[in-house]
Amino acid sequence: MSGQASGPAPTATLGAPVTRRRREFLPTVFKFQSLFGLVLVFAAAVVYSPTKNGQVLFLDSGNLFNVVRSISEIGILAVGMTLVILIGGIDLSVGSVLGLASVGSASLLVDNGFGVVPVVLIVLAIGLGFGVVQGVAIATFGIQAFIVTLAGMQIARGLARIFSGGQAIAITYGDGPGQAPVVFSLLGERTFGGLVPIPALIFIAVAAVAVVLLRVTSFSRHVYAIGGNEKAARLSGVPVMRVKIVVFGICGLLAALAGIVHAGQLNFGGPNDGTGYELDAIAAVVIGGTSLSGGRGSVAGTVAGALLVGVLRNILALRNIDSNIQLLIIGLVIVLAAGLQQFRPASVS
Amino acid sequence: MAACAVLAAGTACGTTHENSGASTGQPVAARTCHGPTGHYTIGMSQANVAEPYRQRMNDDIRKAAAAVPQFTVNFADAAQDNAKQVDQVTTFVTQQIDLLIISPNEATPLTAVVKQAYDKGIPVLVLDRKVDGDAYTEFIGADNVDIGRQAGQYFANVLLPQGGKIAELRGLAGSTPAKERSDGFDQGIAGHNIQIVAAQDGDWLQDKGEQQADAILKANPDIQAIYSQNDPMAEGARIAAANAGRPDLPITGIDGLPIEAGGIKAVQAGRISATFVYPTGGKEAIDAAEKLLLDCQTVPKTQTLSTQLVTKDNAAQVYDALNRG
Amino acid sequence: MTDTAAPLVEMIGVTKSFGGVRAVAGADFSVRAGEVHALLGENGAGKSTLMKVLSGEVGGYRGEIRIGGDPVRFTSPADAQRAGIAMIHQELDLVPALSVAENVFLGREPKTAFGTVDRRRMLRETAAQLDRTGVAIDPRRPVEQLRTGEQQLVTIVKALSLDARVLIMDEPTSALSAHEVDRLFAVIAGLRRGGSGIVYISHRMEEIGKVADRATVLRNGEVVAEFDARSMTAAQASEAMVGRPVHLMFRAADRGRPPGEDLLRIENLAVRRSRPGRRDPAGISLRVARGEIVGLAGLLGAGRTELLETLYGVGAKGPWQGRIILGGKEIRPRGPRQALRLGIALVPEDRRIAGLALEHSVLANTVMSIVDRIALLGLVSRRRERSAARASTERLGVKLASLADPVGSLSGGNQQKVVLGRNLLTEPRLLLLDEPTRGVDVGAKAEIYRLLGEAASQGVGVLLASSEPAELVGVCHRVIVLRDGRGRYELDTGKVSEADLLAASMGEGAVEGLVVGGAE
Repeated sequence: MSGQASGPAPTATLGAPVTRRRREFLPTVFKFQSLFGLVLVFAAAVVYSPTKNGQVLFLDSGNLFNVVRSISEIGILAVGMTLVILIGGIDLSVGSVLGLASVGSASLLVDNGFGVVPVVLIVLAIGLGFGVVQGVAIATFGIQAFIVTLAGMQIARGLARIFSGGQAIAITYGDGPGQAPVVFSLLGERTFGGLVPIPALIFIAVAAVAVVLLRVTSFSRHVYAIGGNEKAARLSGVPVMRVKIVVFGICGLLAALAGIVHAGQLNFGGPNDGTGYELDAIAAVVIGGTSLSGGRGSVAGTVAGALLVGVLRNILALRNIDSNIQLLIIGLVIVLAAGLQQFRPASVS
Repeated sequence: MAACAVLAAGTACGTTHENSGASTGQPVAARTCHGPTGHYTIGMSQANVAEPYRQRMNDDIRKAAAAVPQFTVNFADAAQDNAKQVDQVTTFVTQQIDLLIISPNEATPLTAVVKQAYDKGIPVLVLDRKVDGDAYTEFIGADNVDIGRQAGQYFANVLLPQGGKIAELRGLAGSTPAKERSDGFDQGIAGHNIQIVAAQDGDWLQDKGEQQADAILKANPDIQAIYSQNDPMAEGARIAAANAGRPDLPITGIDGLPIEAGGIKAVQAGRISATFVYPTGGKEAIDAAEKLLLDCQTVPKTQTLSTQLVTKDNAAQVYDALNRG
Repeated sequence: MTDTAAPLVEMIGVTKSFGGVRAVAGADFSVRAGEVHALLGENGAGKSTLMKVLSGEVGGYRGEIRIGGDPVRFTSPADAQRAGIAMIHQELDLVPALSVAENVFLGREPKTAFGTVDRRRMLRETAAQLDRTGVAIDPRRPVEQLRTGEQQLVTIVKALSLDARVLIMDEPTSALSAHEVDRLFAVIAGLRRGGSGIVYISHRMEEIGKVADRATVLRNGEVVAEFDARSMTAAQASEAMVGRPVHLMFRAADRGRPPGEDLLRIENLAVRRSRPGRRDPAGISLRVARGEIVGLAGLLGAGRTELLETLYGVGAKGPWQGRIILGGKEIRPRGPRQALRLGIALVPEDRRIAGLALEHSVLANTVMSIVDRIALLGLVSRRRERSAARASTERLGVKLASLADPVGSLSGGNQQKVVLGRNLLTEPRLLLLDEPTRGVDVGAKAEIYRLLGEAASQGVGVLLASSEPAELVGVCHRVIVLRDGRGRYELDTGKVSEADLLAASMGEGAVEGLVVGGAE
């Protein structure tokens, strides 16, 4: 390195910035670990992809868009989950809220004959309300988020079953009674030459809005402060209760949105839908480099984390890897991601 | 194959893409048929492998396919998730498989993606649960309503000819077979003075079935029999009945899997009074695939598999017959 | 005397680096039997690292450790403990949910014949040890119910129960009241008579003179001076530590009482239904003028922290009586947001627990209280955040490489300046500080005092709770001595000495003449 410092400038002044830049490189890798991970997995997928007639199946544009579509629901959940985890919380109810929203959408469209706009508004309001109630229980009564949302998970699932009478509701389209407006089927369609799935667009829009909000709003500063040290944040005048309630509200709202997308994609509202999705969402957040203890992480990381899982699942399926082995590999990736966080250059105290 | 794919847009490839894509519901020979000299990749999308019944279906397919050297079968497990199963079928299509076998988790959510595959010219064999519409090549399965009806008739004619009070253990709430087996049973007992005084969801699981049966027997000690919608829940109910001091309570199941831990053996051992074989259709699916791919023949749109009542008298016989392959 | 005795333990040319940073560079250090050896230095000078090497917590060093002349190499703290070396940490490494006795015997619980934990023996021995140390704490109480000072005593008792021949104490008195400090010194004297060697790390110069025999000063990881502790002056030690002469205190009292009208008046403030373990205000009256620095003295548990918390709206929730008048208007503090709106700011007692998000940047920690204020329609401009943080860190002289550095990577003094800076950015009328210089090195201490003086001269009223008499006498115009949640005495610092203040805190007689006005 010193060999390059042959210019007229004294080496002492050159030396300092060089070591500095090197020191900053590693933290950058750690900060965007999921992005680097995504690039790695993507490259590996290209290499290991099966080919047919000289065509790399993985790189087929239809396949790539399918990957994005397949993670769009988990991705939307994971954006909300990122906020919750950033304040040091957890939300186990999102999978059940997704189920409730999907059954609710189907039921309102088919059984009650509502239009698409009122259905979307009502279902989003239900999700928001559900999240807010959980947030209030957590913030004002000081019950742990894990417990409250564990209860919320059961309650939302129960509501979904009661609401649907225990029966899945199939959505058929048309103008007649018991049929949903055709517009709703858009959610299962693709645009831009039949290539880009609508759910993927919704996911990307949600993620983009969240990324921007987490950069420029005072709300985002409050979120990070609470996760960093809740007590210090409260003493510093951060409206801790309000922020918590809003965060859980947003998480519930996004779970409901994912539920609408779910119903639209499958033309179906099942009371058991979304079972276990909360764990997939948490996995995406963790792989995205967000710390479960709160205060550290980003939505961009989560998006990359969700994509990483999607690409990984896709290439494993394309290679016909046994589904049980797939579980094993995804599990190892989660451990690896969490383990990497331990090597993150720690703040010296 | 390569030439055919390139020329698919034209008319030179025999049964054309356009024809099969129109999903007219008419039986057509598979576009992918290259006779007995070709090699074929079959994708099998299973709703889940947690249930022994579905594991058996996969095993039946594996066993039957092993006898056909031209076939390679890839299995995918959707773990009871409709969305996951949609992804898996999409991936199979990307892999350009030659034939799709699917046992859908639910009908409606899988309809669109099955149609996509079918419209691409991939023959689709639907097992156990039908998808909506007619965009598939053949449906192979038993009729759950009919099985339920036969179970009901067994109660009406054999177990309780004088009528009486019984309990029902249902499968997972919201699943189609649970509803169908329930509806069929109601038809079977109709007009026979048999009263279902308690019905609970056992989610197809033995331990859940035991819990529910336990509660039912406490609340309704006067019931005279239990109708369970599958064998594992019936086994659970047997334990509950023994604990309640009623080891002889008649309990029937459904599925009759010809495996060690299956319902037929349970009937043979006397733990279940009777069960109804719900055939997997795995072997029949491979037979159909042979017809489509190797013989370039057509297959009927629907093949309904018949059930069979298993009692202590015929259990050993049925078990051997089903395992003879 | 013990000066000629052979050293119990010797460290020769010890060097330890973390990454590229040399924390300790070729240090020699020894402890003799029956000696209290003080180790001085600013934060970051390498004191803790040197002692962690000695106690087996930090490996991978160069140099040698000898015990009784034989070279040894420890691979773990347990290793060092077997060799008779134990360390009491600055951080309170206790398990909150376990009882005092369970903490004392953690990892080496006495067993009964059946292999179960012998609770009775554990309680008995802990009680005996507590008794010997003069600490009145029930050994069955969970540690989380104890106040910080009491917890610190438990860590000391825990280390004493190890029967170590060399005991390392890292800032053992930082949370203790003056009375408890005396108790600790008595214990140390006993250990010393018994032939133990003690390493004593502290920032409090007056303690060193009282308790230590020898003092070694570290600067940048190197040993720069050794003094006879009894004849060493504070000025000598500070100079050696900082490398230049330091003027620690300014005497606010010398400048006379500011003429400003009353900013804060508290009349008979009392909180009913106080929680156990807390000493909420039980009839306090006091006033603070604009530009005045008023000290709050008293033993641990006298109610200093609780008074500040009540004023900031984070105290006990129970109903209260009396009046708080700020700037002529009666207020009822309901929480930090309202307090900040009213112009009240609080620098809390423990910056690591209640003050800072340690992993977050200096920038984020500095602007935490004002992001709402610099935001427009909820949107924050990075530029404005940055300029506010830069102005604050420059005004306070925070030493840092970049505003993006995690605040936890700064020294204790600089961390405290960040907390203070955040509070000053809210432009308070009334500044409440709870032990603002605990664990802070001499240089940073002096700067914090300077900043307090500066704020006061701009008309800010300051209420400063501290357990360091020198600080209270040196910095405050007046000091209120609290006891049992009441104001006992009010002292004019122009007329009293530290000793008088101590005596007043402990409520011992013969201070009547020094009281310039009963505070009740």
